[in-house]
Amino acid sequence: MASGSEDGLGIPSKDYDSLIATTDVELLKRAWQNEKAAPEILQFQADLIRRSQEQIQLMEDTVEEYAENGTDPLTVSLYQMDLDRTQFLLRSYLRIRLQKIEKYMLHISKTELWNRLSKQEQKFAKRSTDHMEKHLKQSVLSRLPYGYQSILKQSISSEDDDMGTISSFCANHFFLMCYCLFLSFLIY
Amino acid sequence: MLCMSCKLGNTYSLLVNDSSSNRRLVDKLCLSVHWKLIPICWVSWKPPDRGYIMMNTDGSFLQARGDAGVLGSMDRYNSNMFDQVIKECSAHHLEFQSLMRKIQEEGLDIQTTRNADHFGAVIHHLSLIHNKRCLMAYVYNRVEIIQSLRWKLGPVLPQEIQEKLNYSEEEFFKNHSAALESYMSELELDLTVDMVPPKDPYIHVRVLDDIGDVLLSDQSPNLACHSMHFLKRTDAEQFISQGLMEELTG
Repeated sequence: MASGSEDGLGIPSKDYDSLIATTDVELLKRAWQNEKAAPEILQFQADLIRRSQEQIQLMEDTVEEYAENGTDPLTVSLYQMDLDRTQFLLRSYLRIRLQKIEKYMLHISKTELWNRLSKQEQKFAKRSTDHMEKHLKQSVLSRLPYGYQSILKQSISSEDDDMGTISSFCANHFFLMCYCLFLSFLIY
Repeated sequence: MLCMSCKLGNTYSLLVNDSSSNRRLVDKLCLSVHWKLIPICWVSWKPPDRGYIMMNTDGSFLQARGDAGVLGSMDRYNSNMFDQVIKECSAHHLEFQSLMRKIQEEGLDIQTTRNADHFGAVIHHLSLIHNKRCLMAYVYNRVEIIQSLRWKLGPVLPQEIQEKLNYSEEEFFKNHSAALESYMSELELDLTVDMVPPKDPYIHVRVLDDIGDVLLSDQSPNLACHSMHFLKRTDAEQFISQGLMEELTG
């Protein structure tokens, strides 16, 4: 946050900046930027999201009212634009979190990242994990010999849950591919 | 094996195409050869027209054939290859078990013995695990593509893509779609619209396919083919992503 000296209008820009920074829109924007940039899922901002949804609802009603009682259409469309922008921020924030959950669901359900999810996200994650496990079991694991049918362990003699690296972060993906290619040269 | 002899100075030397099978043969015969390098071929790529979905999938699987890995649409589920790999896994497992039994019958301790049988069993075990990881990676790769399809194309997949999924994948898509919809209805927000930051609240669109009368949030236009409309962006987005409309820019 830039701390500046007074600008031409005589409003100390430091105060203006700090005033703007505490509005919900600014907080939502900050949360959205953080979520977009971070590779792992961050703490769910439950209060902020609840307040934002309430304010968006209020704005929608106001805009509808203005549109009906014939206020200046420029004002209406400006309010509408502002509303659209805020709605986009909210949707994008929730969407990015959902897509992170989809990608890393096994990892999230096994570590303390689970506590960063909202209740609805936890429900979604649980259902998604169940469906994924069912699909993997049906397609691959049930057809393999006994002792190799675990999703998380390579075989029953493994000590760690090392199959989980399939669904962990990208770095592990690359490592997994190198590992498979190398073995294929050994065996052939 | 393709090779040509050529004269280098006063000695003859073999010029051999570089490939894994040739390399094995040369090692076996203890020859010294010159390796002909595989030429690199540069290709250009034109991005697809608007309305097409292009998906990445790893072109190489289990056997490296030396072909290029290609950017393309999702392939049909390869059940032949899959069944072959599963058969190979069962074969490995049988060999593994018979070797373990052999060690036991000879009266040796399974945990600590390190003879030829033990190492043979280790190779079978590792091959099995290698195959398992490849199969899991293949299925999981397709799962990721299917998940992204739900975001791009909505709850109903077009026929061309549905043919490429096997039964388990179709079920997975339906279940995943249902989980997503239940989450969105709990929040009362549709998260599949509004995918790009908004520039204008309303956009000009031209309808590409006959859609008919539609009830939207602020108007109910008749979306006949080739007609142009001034719609709210969020309403138009779902039609644009299905390729039924196009945005008029400029």
